[in-house]
Amino acid sequence: MSPVDTWHVPDALLDRFAAVDGAALPAPEQWSVEAHLERCPDCRARLGRAMATRSPELLAVVEDVRAGLDARISALPAPARRRWGARRLTGGLLISRLLACVAVLAAATLLDLVAASGGGAAPSWLLLAAPVLPLLGVAASWSRALDPAHELVAATPAAGLALLLRRTLVVIAVVVPAALVAGAVTEADSQAAWLLPCLALTAAALALGSITGIARATALAAGAWVAGVVVPALALQDTPAALEPAWLPVWCALAIVAAGVIALRRETYPRMMER
Amino acid sequence: MRKTGPEQLSDEQLVRRVARGDRAAFDELYRRTAPWLALRLRRRCADEDLVAEVMQESYVAVWRAAGSFAGASAGGSAAGWLWTIAARRLVDAFRRRGRSAEVAVAAPPEGHAPSAEEEALGGELDARLATELARLSPELCAVLQAMVLDGLSVRETSLLLGIPEGTVKTRARRARIALKEALA
Repeated sequence: MSPVDTWHVPDALLDRFAAVDGAALPAPEQWSVEAHLERCPDCRARLGRAMATRSPELLAVVEDVRAGLDARISALPAPARRRWGARRLTGGLLISRLLACVAVLAAATLLDLVAASGGGAAPSWLLLAAPVLPLLGVAASWSRALDPAHELVAATPAAGLALLLRRTLVVIAVVVPAALVAGAVTEADSQAAWLLPCLALTAAALALGSITGIARATALAAGAWVAGVVVPALALQDTPAALEPAWLPVWCALAIVAAGVIALRRETYPRMMER
Repeated sequence: MRKTGPEQLSDEQLVRRVARGDRAAFDELYRRTAPWLALRLRRRCADEDLVAEVMQESYVAVWRAAGSFAGASAGGSAAGWLWTIAARRLVDAFRRRGRSAEVAVAAPPEGHAPSAEEEALGGELDARLATELARLSPELCAVLQAMVLDGLSVRETSLLLGIPEGTVKTRARRARIALKEALA
């Protein structure tokens, strides 16, 4: 057993600490006791008993708060149940954003069908839109303004990279199958051509997010895609080079580098919430 | 399944029960942690009304967000989680009221020599570090307390103590340098 498990606050010290103006205690003692109390339920229970004699007026406040709490909590619904649904993973609001992403996909599919019936060789809207759609979802799931649970998330030990990745997973799990279905409907010849760019862009945005914050990173990645791929494709009326098989190694490399950056900078994600 | 009474459960198990809407578990959690939390808040805020307000908001947040703790079971203590919530609420309360804490900083030591008590405290804090910590000025101590012990960010510390963020950073740096030199 380490000293951390066996040591407890000595009675005399705990007694002095229990007084409200126990500030007479020098900093090292006070800090030691506070650090220990945070971990030790036994000493916390002893502290409660010591406070009965040393700071009864504060215990009266505790009783008042309890009475007020009873009333407030009875008026509240039961706590949200923990379950494995998109709502729990995303704070609920993301659902409407995901629906918006799917709507964009549907619109792109429709445009493709119209273009195909016209017999033109225009670039596929689906190909152009699909890789950036998850970015929109990720940005929405991590935006301070859009997430009503933002404050709770910021105070939760599980915030940070784990939560970000879970939310990203939800986005991808919805958008990718939807895009695959859309591809089957339009009978696009290169079903999977956009999958790798999509993965690489999302990973790059997450990696960049550790530096600039997620909102700015997703905007940058989406902007780069629009400027570098969508605009030239529309101008030339041709399928962009970036979606040709020759580019696959490039997207692959980008995804790997981004994953590496995420792994290296994983410690910085919890603080990102403050931006 | 045999149902154990809330008294026999650990704090973490209680929070998990609260997440399922168990009022008895919530009451037990309050009974166990509220005096400790009230005292810790009171040390950082002389105004008892404000302490009561922050306590109430914190426990309401516990009731609503207990589910989010269950997900963080890896190594997180319920009390530490509770303090994180309460510290943020305290900072928010200060921000709303537009004033800073009259933080009761621990008293400066009187002719300090390491006592037997302090030696015993070695379990929590290195005795040499404790001696050096006691030599820091109250201003530096307050910044260290907020940032190290309470886990607040620079911004939150600046709100809590009512000093500019730049000053928080300077003081934190100075305190670190002082401790490092003393321990070198």
